[in-house]
Amino acid sequence: MKTTATTSPIDQLEADQEIISKVLAGDRNAFGVLIQRYSDPLFRHALGMTGSPDVAEDILQMSFIKAYHHLSEVRGRFDAWVFRIVANGCKDWLKNIRRTHLSYEEDDQPTSYATPEEELDRTELRDDLDTALLQLPPSLREAFIMKHVEGRSYEEMADLLGTTVGALKMRVHRAREALQALLEEKYA
Amino acid sequence: MEHHHEPEGRPERERPLRSADEVGPMSDREVPLVPQSTVDAPDAIHRWLDGELPEPTGLRGDAARSVEFWRRLGEETDKRRRMMTPAHLPDKIMSALPPMSLPYNAGMPWYKKGIRLTTTSAVAVGAALFTMGWIVARALVAR
Repeated sequence: MKTTATTSPIDQLEADQEIISKVLAGDRNAFGVLIQRYSDPLFRHALGMTGSPDVAEDILQMSFIKAYHHLSEVRGRFDAWVFRIVANGCKDWLKNIRRTHLSYEEDDQPTSYATPEEELDRTELRDDLDTALLQLPPSLREAFIMKHVEGRSYEEMADLLGTTVGALKMRVHRAREALQALLEEKYA
Repeated sequence: MEHHHEPEGRPERERPLRSADEVGPMSDREVPLVPQSTVDAPDAIHRWLDGELPEPTGLRGDAARSVEFWRRLGEETDKRRRMMTPAHLPDKIMSALPPMSLPYNAGMPWYKKGIRLTTTSAVAVGAALFTMGWIVARALVAR
């Protein structure tokens, strides 16, 4: 069951801490509540960063298992803490991909653009956006996804990423400019 | 990835390309990704996308095309924002969790647990023992 809570951050924090206490007291199933509560935005983040649903699933699974092992170390917001685990998991995956010399720029670039007369369907735009996102440097991709796909405010992003609102605005602006440069020939 | 979409998602906290954020200083800490010649999105469009201004109107040429481009991309990012975790994943994660690694003495009665001595408790225990010794000594002397 998905939660549609509109509780305040403080209520949410207390609710999470209550669940964490239950898990630490031996109620393993209570951890499922945390998974249900936070998996959607985390999955969207991992999917946006990696471009692969399978990889996103793996990262999410590993991250929640890691969170489970280190649950007693949570200080403050669980969602922010687990977000950092997932974000680091994505970055590690991207580093490993680069180490194995898999190049998205070469392998996944669209081979041809449709003519302006062609009707562009959703799938095509989605695929092209995925391809373009994967060509962005990870920091720009991360900022764009958090802002436009996850719908986070700059303040929330700054809190989660440990940087300033100004720096994040700059990243998002540059990501937009890069995406537009990559896609405007076809879509603008 | 179509199967991850759900048409009627949870209530949205914020629309992705129309969010409202405060205006903040822009510190230049990163290397531009693309040559400036290709960057033609005016500041008004960025501010619109940041939710600071309404959608720009009356634009022409490149700027008008930019607005149309971002409107179109906004529809796609809106859809992505409603994307949900594959239904099987939470169960898969739960079944992959190891047995709960509780602290070694969790569930033991207090008298069977090991003693963890901190500085404060050591001082308290010392003071208590000293007091007890003093009382016993006084009692013996009084006899």
